[in-house]
Amino acid sequence: MATPGKRPERSGSPAAPLGFAVIPVKFSEKHQSPHFLYVKEHKVREDKDHNRPQNNTLFVLNVPPYCTEECLSRLFSGFGSVQSVELCEKPMLGEKKKPPKTKFFGATKPLGFQVAYVVFKSPAGVQAAKSVSTDEPLVISSNKHPVQTGIQKWIANYAALIVNPVELKTEVDAFMQAYDQKIAKEEAKAEKEDGVPDEEGWVKVTRKGRRPGLPRTEAANLRALEREKRKRARKELLNFYAWQHHETKREHIAQLRKKFEEDKQKIALMRAQRKFRPY
Amino acid sequence: MPEEPEREEGLEGEEGDASLSKEGRKPRARKRSSASEGILQPVKLCKAELYKPPTNEELSRLKETENLFHSNLLRLQVEELLKEVTLKEKRRQKIDSFLHEINALLSKIPEAPERDITDQSWLPKGLKVPLLQLPFVVKGKFRFLPPAEVKVVGSYLLGTCIKPEVNVDVALVMPREVFQDKDNLNQRYHRKRALYLAHVAHHLAKKKLFGSVKFAYMNGNHFKPIVLLQPQGKDAKTVTVRLYACPAQDVFKPSRLHPNKNNVRTAWFTEKDSPVTGAIEPPTPHYNNSILWDLNMASNLVFLSEAASGFQGMRDGVCLLKVWLHQRELDKGLGCFNGFLASMLVGYLLAGNKINKVMSGYQVLRNALHFLATTDLTTSGINLSKNMDGTLPSLSDFHKAFQVVFVDPSGRVNLCADMTASTYKQIQLEAKRSMEILDDKTVDGFQLVFMTHKPLIRTFDHVFHLRHVSKLQAACKKMKLLNELMDHGGNYVAATLPFLLRLLERGLGRRIVLLTHTLPQTPPWSISEDPPKHRDIGSLSFGLLLSLDFATSILERGPEADRPEAVEFRQFWGPRSELRRFQDGAICEAVLWDAPNVSQKRLIPEQIIRHLLQLHMDIPDSSICYTGALLESVIKMGREPAGTGEEAMVSLIRSYDDLSRKLWNLEGLPLTVTSVQGAHPALRYTDVFPPVPVNPDYAYHARIKDCESLLPLAEKPCPAYIAPMKVLCHMEGSGQWPQDKEAIKRIKAAFQLQLAELLKQQHQLLCRPAPTHTDVFKDGYVFRLQVAYHREPQILKEVVTPEGMLKYQDNPESQQLELETQHLPFLTSSLHGLQQQHPAFSGTSRLAKRWISAQLLSDSLSEECIDLVAASLFLSPAPFTAPSSPQVGFLHFLHLLTTFDWKNSPLIVNLNGDLKDTDYVEIQNHFVATRLQLPVMFIATPRDQRNSVWTKEKPSAQILQRLLVLALESLRVLEEQLMDPLGSQDIKMVFRPPLDFYDVLIHLNPKQIPRHLEAVDKPVMSFSRGMIKSDAVVKTLSFPVVDYDPVQCYLQELQEAFSEFALFFYDKYGGEVIGVLWKPSAFEPQPFKVSNMRGRMMSSVGTDPLTVPNVQAILEDFGILGEGLVKSVEARTEKWSI
Repeated sequence: MATPGKRPERSGSPAAPLGFAVIPVKFSEKHQSPHFLYVKEHKVREDKDHNRPQNNTLFVLNVPPYCTEECLSRLFSGFGSVQSVELCEKPMLGEKKKPPKTKFFGATKPLGFQVAYVVFKSPAGVQAAKSVSTDEPLVISSNKHPVQTGIQKWIANYAALIVNPVELKTEVDAFMQAYDQKIAKEEAKAEKEDGVPDEEGWVKVTRKGRRPGLPRTEAANLRALEREKRKRARKELLNFYAWQHHETKREHIAQLRKKFEEDKQKIALMRAQRKFRPY
Repeated sequence: MPEEPEREEGLEGEEGDASLSKEGRKPRARKRSSASEGILQPVKLCKAELYKPPTNEELSRLKETENLFHSNLLRLQVEELLKEVTLKEKRRQKIDSFLHEINALLSKIPEAPERDITDQSWLPKGLKVPLLQLPFVVKGKFRFLPPAEVKVVGSYLLGTCIKPEVNVDVALVMPREVFQDKDNLNQRYHRKRALYLAHVAHHLAKKKLFGSVKFAYMNGNHFKPIVLLQPQGKDAKTVTVRLYACPAQDVFKPSRLHPNKNNVRTAWFTEKDSPVTGAIEPPTPHYNNSILWDLNMASNLVFLSEAASGFQGMRDGVCLLKVWLHQRELDKGLGCFNGFLASMLVGYLLAGNKINKVMSGYQVLRNALHFLATTDLTTSGINLSKNMDGTLPSLSDFHKAFQVVFVDPSGRVNLCADMTASTYKQIQLEAKRSMEILDDKTVDGFQLVFMTHKPLIRTFDHVFHLRHVSKLQAACKKMKLLNELMDHGGNYVAATLPFLLRLLERGLGRRIVLLTHTLPQTPPWSISEDPPKHRDIGSLSFGLLLSLDFATSILERGPEADRPEAVEFRQFWGPRSELRRFQDGAICEAVLWDAPNVSQKRLIPEQIIRHLLQLHMDIPDSSICYTGALLESVIKMGREPAGTGEEAMVSLIRSYDDLSRKLWNLEGLPLTVTSVQGAHPALRYTDVFPPVPVNPDYAYHARIKDCESLLPLAEKPCPAYIAPMKVLCHMEGSGQWPQDKEAIKRIKAAFQLQLAELLKQQHQLLCRPAPTHTDVFKDGYVFRLQVAYHREPQILKEVVTPEGMLKYQDNPESQQLELETQHLPFLTSSLHGLQQQHPAFSGTSRLAKRWISAQLLSDSLSEECIDLVAASLFLSPAPFTAPSSPQVGFLHFLHLLTTFDWKNSPLIVNLNGDLKDTDYVEIQNHFVATRLQLPVMFIATPRDQRNSVWTKEKPSAQILQRLLVLALESLRVLEEQLMDPLGSQDIKMVFRPPLDFYDVLIHLNPKQIPRHLEAVDKPVMSFSRGMIKSDAVVKTLSFPVVDYDPVQCYLQELQEAFSEFALFFYDKYGGEVIGVLWKPSAFEPQPFKVSNMRGRMMSSVGTDPLTVPNVQAILEDFGILGEGLVKSVEARTEKWSI
């Protein structure tokens, strides 16, 4: 597909792997050693996600932990105007369904190295990004746009964790209202279907209704089996025939032998570990 | 027995040997493979092997082990041990030939002419008489004649000689002509004996045969020098031949040596000319006994060889006893219980028909231990003599003269003459413990009884040393012990020891279970050196086993003031005794010890000992080195007198109890609170530095107005760390709870809000709700309330199979929740209970945590796991006793870590005693069957028998390995320091981690370390951290900064970003440095993969597209991520290269 990225002049800067272009980035002007972003056109066969149009989207590997979405969008706006940036922990298909937006119950943000999908407004942005010269690393945190790390960031995080009870309450109430409605709807549906045969004539038995059935759980199944077994054991006579008597004796000796073998094995192991040197 | 040959191969039935050997071969092949892996595997035997008809031999063996031993294991183990310690045939041959040569040499020693004993000029230059000759002047003449007889005596002849120190005792019988009348007086016999041996040693030293010829004291007894001979060259270690000298039979009249008789004249001993006429000379039982011992040496040997003949069990039993004694450090030194005594004891049991000659060694051992455990030789001595002759001294005569009585077959010699009552009590206690262990089916008795070394420092709760024993000489004078001194030939240590022990035992009273001491020993010395003085035994160490109930009481209540005993009490305690009025109206003499907190109370025995030794024996404070609480300085916090945190935890638990009462009685909740459970280490007394009440300084922080919360300021030092204490609040189950996990989360959040609201309304507590918890600020503590619903883990586990079956499957989320809401509260309450039974648990666990953290491993091991290991020390302390002081608890902890076989055995912690014998077997079997899937460190508890939830994630095998290495080294160093009263005793040494092990060091800025004051070495400079004194009365309106530790935030970011490249190590209690260790696997070049490009770059070397870590950038990232916290990143590039 695309040509490999230009070989950087600076010694020690490595090449890009096949299909990728390399963009060095560093945190600020005073830092020396850059990280290398590996970028490529986003091209996946089955992904028909309209959030990531095939031609306009740039796939970015190896995004350092302190890079935020805003910061990436600023970095890449040099190549063309950026429509959206999406950071994920690992490459994946576009999200199937978004979970409902929640301020308080969402997952925590990943903190390590990530991958990003940068969507440009036009395909030109993608090409520009791929053919950028790698001489001078891009700078993530400048005086104009500082990126918070360390103490500053942790204090901000701490402040963000303090929630406003009123907001929390409204969100919880809204969710529970929707949930109650959903449950009520399901129950109404179940009640309507109770005792009514479907088109093939089957009647669904639920735990509710007039004649509740056994719950179909694994535990209940096991319990039933156990009960059967006990019933059978109760009926059996253990010391009735002479051979049963012999059998138990034989079994006893076999047990002793087995124990003996086990112990011998243990001893051999201990001997190997020199466990018998008392001092 | 059932014979069913039709199913077997049938033919082998008769040929027992063939079948046995075949049976033996197969498993051995399997064994080799498993031994090479070092992991036990479940045994699988084929049916044919299991069910073939047994031979008679096999049957009887199986039956015997079933009945006699608990298992084959013990029997096999004992057999292996005996094989290991007994002498091989080849070695015996070498020793025999060596003995023959010695015998030949001894008969060739030339005579020496008769001279005065005091005229020692005939001895060659460079040879010193191996006896302290004080006073020097004695009458009598000595001439050397070659020994009348040379015979091998003792263990070698009986076959009870054990490795590693193989000693062969040879007795030289001094001819009658050497002695004169009255040689029994005034040490004349001993002088002659010493001269005799000196002459022998001198002649042997000239021979090439010997690698070394030395003198030593027999069992530390200064009267009895012996000559030690070792062969030349590389055989030096094979054997030590010890030459004893003893007089020919009937040289002395035994009746003169009766324990009531005097044989050392006071006038001679004190070097005063005229004897005080009319004064009765005091008896000298020890002196007499030492002569009698030599006289009866031969006859005792005859007794023993009679007992041992045709009695293999006795040999094995004595060997086992000797190993047992050696592990307990009881078999050497003055007043020891040596192998000879052990043999005599077995002989006694045989003579009394307590054992018979068909018994096995193990049975002999059990009987001997049982006898020791149940018989108190200090009050009811035993006598081997059958002779009821009236001329022999009676047992009561012996009891009057000696502390421990065990009379030999002649009826005259007390074999335990030098033993102190304390030593015997110790033996008794050990025997009792050992019997308990051997009867306990849940432990590996063999390992604990025979293979575990029990040094003083690890066995006793408190240990103290007398730095300079010479101080005891003055004590002799103070206590008027001239007679005893005379009896012991001037050995003031032996003379004062019984008195010192009696004094302390009386003073400590009920506080101790046992007081014991090390047995004084002197190393062998070269024949050209002067014999060691009495003070050369170095320091004398004493061990105390504390009794839980009384050790820490601060009051010593004496008799009522008007009773006659009061005078005696006052005398005993001296100025510390005072009159006090008690609540019952009585006015009594009493001693009140000064101890404001628990850690000081633990040291009351120290106060008593120092006071009594000073008062009665003039031993100054400076010569007593008391090691009971030296380690505690690392868990002390706050201003002097700093406690070790027990008080802090009690007060916070009080506050917690109050909170839980308030929660139960909260009005207006839609569902009631069913239980409130603590889950924080401080609530089970195991938090290293328990939270203290805080009072934040508003001026120091930023504030969020609408939430009434304080915020840290970046430019100021980080505020002091406030740990939130997690408290679980279980809500009643009800049909109202939704059955969907997302909905449950919301409902729980709603409860949090409501709890906060109600607590504020009804109890005016400052609360701050969050979706998952509510922080409550109460009495200066912050509690983190967490609502729990008991069915939630169940709901998280629900999975519907394609057939529509509802299944419960563990998943990480449900396991985490179970851990938090079920296991953790259970653990917390169990350990809280354990602390009530064993007050030293808290200190032990905290010292252990402090040490692990100090070694930078706190993140690699869960706190709960350490708590459980510490708890196991108290629940199954064998072979030790449950620790009563944190110091010995910590030593046990290190010892357990290093000696426990983590690979092949589960550590079973029987919390609340809920596990029965069958459970133990089940756990063991399950463990062996699924070893490879289980965590490297497996800890089973009653509620968690199969999974070991607390060690699942960590530690990893490498970390455990590292931990064991560190523990081994720390234990060694620490015990050396604690046992060396003359050293520097800088015990913090084991709490300072070696840093040269790490590849990169990240140095942190102390300003931003909130727990900086908790460091092992307290920082010189400290920062103000925004707290005002807790006693200042300020109405708190804003919530303090809770659970904010920048270092932990930083570590978390490092972990998440770089966990594939490196491991990070940190001491969370105020460490100033983070150690980074590169993972070698990450540094190998790898092919390019989209999923594996975090922090890596393409390698510029080679043509293949390989990736390597971008180390330079990563090192810079360390600094970037920790902006403001990191002082410098020190890359030790010499340690690694890419």
